[in-house]
Amino acid sequence: MWKRDEAPRPTSPAPAPAPVSSAPVPREADPAASRVAMSSSASREVAHIGKSVVIKGELTASEDLVIEGQVEGKVELRDHLLTIGPNGKVKAQVFARTVVVEGEVRGNVMATERIDIRDAGSVEGDLSAPRVAIADGAHFRGSIDMQRGGADVKTPASSIKPAVPAPTPAPAIAPAPSPLLK
Amino acid sequence: MTPGQLVRPWTDLFKRASRTVDAASAGTPQPADPTVTSRVFPKFLDVLAHREAPTILDLGPVVGGNIEFFGERLCGKIHVEDVVADIEDHSRRGERPALAAFLATRLRQAPASVDGVLCWDTFDFLDMAAGGALAASLTRLLKPGGALHGSFGTTALELRHYTRTVVESASVFRTRHYPATPVPRTVRLTRDMIRMFDGLVVAESVLLKSNTRETLFRKP
Repeated sequence: MWKRDEAPRPTSPAPAPAPVSSAPVPREADPAASRVAMSSSASREVAHIGKSVVIKGELTASEDLVIEGQVEGKVELRDHLLTIGPNGKVKAQVFARTVVVEGEVRGNVMATERIDIRDAGSVEGDLSAPRVAIADGAHFRGSIDMQRGGADVKTPASSIKPAVPAPTPAPAIAPAPSPLLK
Repeated sequence: MTPGQLVRPWTDLFKRASRTVDAASAGTPQPADPTVTSRVFPKFLDVLAHREAPTILDLGPVVGGNIEFFGERLCGKIHVEDVVADIEDHSRRGERPALAAFLATRLRQAPASVDGVLCWDTFDFLDMAAGGALAASLTRLLKPGGALHGSFGTTALELRHYTRTVVESASVFRTRHYPATPVPRTVRLTRDMIRMFDGLVVAESVLLKSNTRETLFRKP
């Protein structure tokens, strides 16, 4: 839905009034607060949801995504980086390769690679990823599952849970035996 | 959001980025922070290392370095239940008498679903009734064979800060303080603790030079 069209488009901003526009808008020439813009740095595409954008429903992308607005429902990025910016507010189940949280998330977050909650970030929900980093000053409430291979974004439907700490441990895949202590 | 967060110069962004990487990886213990050498914590880890994908319940504030430590060491699951924040909330509102009822239902994990519990200093801030309610919950949550690592102050004084404990290694903690609403510490004798954790047994108990008693409880 947010993908850049195959044919190159003019670089002028999209007509303003629509709160969510699928027209590509270069980030530098994008003063409007309500926007969904896409930019490419080097060879990588990054979609950007502006801070006045509110999305309710299912958001799926095949490119990196930065959320500065509000999203409610479900966010799924297979094999891509999701950044919830300082202004971003996400009330959703989140699935991605890597998730960086600088804003607010209420809901469970699953990543196949890494979850990184920055010092201004706030998460209330369960995290599942092989690696989780939580900076000092970050707010977190929930559980953290770091079992190797525990997060699988390809089967998100079976993993959707309410945004509260899970009452029971449910290892999806048995991990390697725990390392012995020295 | 604080006013300082509204404006972020580029230099600050770079500082934040580098600090975040360091903090997330190491829990940012400061050199000036005191260290504590633990003789009991290695045994707590040893209990968990022999359990597959252990589930840990941490009653203190989230510490990124500790999450990473347990994740790399044990590959398990960690529930961060900042009960200390709840205690502070009740203290600020002048509702400490309500803590016992609150803590009796605070933890929602399933019975016998937790392999290890970390409760560092938490009980110092709880009177006998509230401590008993929390201890009963923890006892119920522990799996048979599970372990509880606790530290308990042994000197009566007014507590003016909470302690953020950062695990530096299997036997060394670094502690950092942050402000608390003043409250007299509840000092428990060993027999009080044994009664409070009815259903658990004391596997090891060590009095540290800091007059803190470090105890490892096990559930038979």
